Amino acid sequence: MRTLLRILVTFTAALAVGAVILLVSGRSPLAVYWLLFQQAFGSTSAAADTLLNATPLIFTGVATAVAFQAGVFNVGVEGSLYVGAFAAAWVGFTFTTLPGWLLIPIAFVAGGLAGLLWALLPAAMKAYLQVDEVVTTLLLNYVAIDVTAYLVTYPFLAPGAANSMSVPVAKQAELPRLLASSQLNTGFFVALAVAAAAAWLIRRSVLGYEIRSLGLNPWFARTMGMPLARTVILAMCVSGLIGGLGGAAHVLGVNYRFVQGFSPGYGFDGITVALMANNSPIGAILGAVLIGALRNGGTTMQLFTNIPLDLVNVLEAIVILLVTVDVGIRIRARRLKREPVA
Amino acid sequence: MSSAVSLRGVSKAFGPVQALDSVDFELAEREIHALVGENGAGKTTLMRILAGLEQPDAGRIEIAGRNTTIPDPQTASRLGIGMVHQRFQLHPSLTVLENVVLGAEPSSYGLFGKRRAMRQVGELAERYGFDIDPGARVSSLPVGVRQRVEILKALHRGADILIFDEPTSVLTPQETQGLFGILRSLKDDGKAIIYISHKIWEVLEVSDRISVLRRGRNGGEVPTREATAEVIAERMVGHELPPLQRAVQREVGAVAVEAHDLEVEDDRGVMAVRGVTFSVRKGEIVGLAGVEGNGQRELIEALAGLRVPTSGEVVLGGQTVTRYNLYERRRLGLALIPEDRDREGVCAQLSIAENLLGNRYRDRPYALAGVLQRRPLLELSHDLMGRYAVRAEGPSALVKTLSGGNVQKVVVARELSGQPQVVLAVHPSRGIDIGAMRAVHQELLDLASAGSAILLVSGDLDEIFALSDRILTLFEGTVTGEVARATATREVVGRLMLGTGRAAA
Repeated sequence: MRTLLRILVTFTAALAVGAVILLVSGRSPLAVYWLLFQQAFGSTSAAADTLLNATPLIFTGVATAVAFQAGVFNVGVEGSLYVGAFAAAWVGFTFTTLPGWLLIPIAFVAGGLAGLLWALLPAAMKAYLQVDEVVTTLLLNYVAIDVTAYLVTYPFLAPGAANSMSVPVAKQAELPRLLASSQLNTGFFVALAVAAAAAWLIRRSVLGYEIRSLGLNPWFARTMGMPLARTVILAMCVSGLIGGLGGAAHVLGVNYRFVQGFSPGYGFDGITVALMANNSPIGAILGAVLIGALRNGGTTMQLFTNIPLDLVNVLEAIVILLVTVDVGIRIRARRLKREPVA
Repeated sequence: MSSAVSLRGVSKAFGPVQALDSVDFELAEREIHALVGENGAGKTTLMRILAGLEQPDAGRIEIAGRNTTIPDPQTASRLGIGMVHQRFQLHPSLTVLENVVLGAEPSSYGLFGKRRAMRQVGELAERYGFDIDPGARVSSLPVGVRQRVEILKALHRGADILIFDEPTSVLTPQETQGLFGILRSLKDDGKAIIYISHKIWEVLEVSDRISVLRRGRNGGEVPTREATAEVIAERMVGHELPPLQRAVQREVGAVAVEAHDLEVEDDRGVMAVRGVTFSVRKGEIVGLAGVEGNGQRELIEALAGLRVPTSGEVVLGGQTVTRYNLYERRRLGLALIPEDRDREGVCAQLSIAENLLGNRYRDRPYALAGVLQRRPLLELSHDLMGRYAVRAEGPSALVKTLSGGNVQKVVVARELSGQPQVVLAVHPSRGIDIGAMRAVHQELLDLASAGSAILLVSGDLDEIFALSDRILTLFEGTVTGEVARATATREVVGRLMLGTGRAAA
């Protein structure tokens, strides 16, 4: 409850700061926000598009939140998203003879596994060699983006395609759409289920207890005899897994193929979402919907008015600013505490 | 008798907490006035008001008979109030001289008058009988001497009213005696001294008058020569304390934990434990006395499995566990009350229940197939909170909302419930009030009677003497002596703690 309130307060504060900027640039904030709201929630198809925009952010937000809960600053969900998307696409266009009820789960599993494996290397380096995960996961994002780009530019380039993309997945691997007027598909429900599962894992499982203890107070976790290195690795695995599932959902639900550079930064928006939600998976749903609404509303607004999409970027930047002030303080505190090594 | 300081009706609230409620306090000239009270009784707040670090909500402050306000530490310093902090505020890389004059350097034409500073500090040191080399780097000095630097610093700024906040918490018994000598000579020289402590026997020895604070209110004032330890303790807690119940004859059984030739390095790779061998038997409480930083932390961590010894062996219940981690040792019946309660003992942002879960979270019935079970944990929490008198709203209250004493009760409840075979208790009563301390001590005695082996690490000789059957002293990483409590005296143990004594039988 408090988390949801926190998200709304942060978001409202961002809107308030944005209002000042709008005023300075000679526009009426109320009119602009009303337009934004109309475009994001004003009709069934607008609302559906907002949820469509929110879907990858739920995955990446929850993925980030799980790692952050363990005190592991995984900023590499973007990388897991890419390798997961590619793996799911590969399954989808390779095993085309399988029926949909089998092919879709296999594609998701492949995507999740790929994302997990991608997170494993920085996880092990953090757990056993105390290599800072912020650096490794951040840099590995670009490796993932470029490696997948190579794959669909050369070995897996669709014949006759002008842009770097793979061939489409089998028709039966496509996730069903929910409405005729929107691309919103059942991937959204997968996202909700993943968020619920992550929330359960964090709150109710033994691993979740270890993750929370480690993240909140590593000294306590150590004194309780918890396996610190293993907890770091498992938290990263879950995080990478969810990121990979997000990539799979995007391929099977929206693009139906792997497209080079398909993500406009879902993994990074996921960090904003997780921070807004104070690392609560359920809170991440709300955070993702709000950011999704901004993205959706902003895009259409740009089409019909002279208000640039940059406004949305500014608003999101303010959200990030507001939440990172808080997080920055916490990271500083963590550094000052001098953590025990895993 | 004229007053150096007079506080009338001083009140201070922090949010909903009334830290001070109309407190009166009077410090005469040429007096050592002790201020005692449990943690959270308001001692520190009162002194912070005098030092200009806090502003009272109400009340009057008179210094040398003049009504005044103390808006900041600079004003306090101008009024002649100097504070000797519990945690020294010294620059380790500077010399004694530089530390003493820092911020109040004698200078001529903007140049540091080193010679003049040297003369001033030398005179001060001589006047009060401090044996101190002004050119020595502070980092090279023992704790007791660093404290003298801190005192010199206050004197150099012309302090006539000196406040000592728990000054003996880091000192050996010998250093404490040395400090008392200094306090007396300061008094003879006309200084007025406020001595904050919760160690009753010290207060009885050194002070002229004792004021008690209880929950932010005046708990009475007595001349020291009319006071007894019992009376002071009662006034601090507000009721009579039950005496410790000690089993007359305890069964001492087989060896439960032993260390063989243990050598352990500290975080910097310096040998902190140098060949320690000892054992604790079932039903026995062994006190490990020593000044902090003589290898206790590293020794305990090696015994607990949190630090790998460079050589030697740890045996737990007949089993060599040198390579076992803490989790595996806990499974063999080890319990650990860690040194740093707030950092290692609890997770402040988790609930009481989740903190009580810490040492059994993978065990039935609290976890089944990797899933935490709520009901058994709730039952356990209610049971333990009742048995250990944890005062809180309920099991779901966050630990950060608890007072220090209640936090320690949570740690003790978790570690001592479930019949541990071996208890490593490090400063189990540090920073908690007398009532809670008595409860913790009783629990340790009861456990020993029930057959647990207990290793008690403490720098507080009162605690060591109250509980131990045998006392080991640790100095610079080696065991310098072993004495039976029955034959031990503070002086002998104190000397052994400094490595200057010889082992008595």
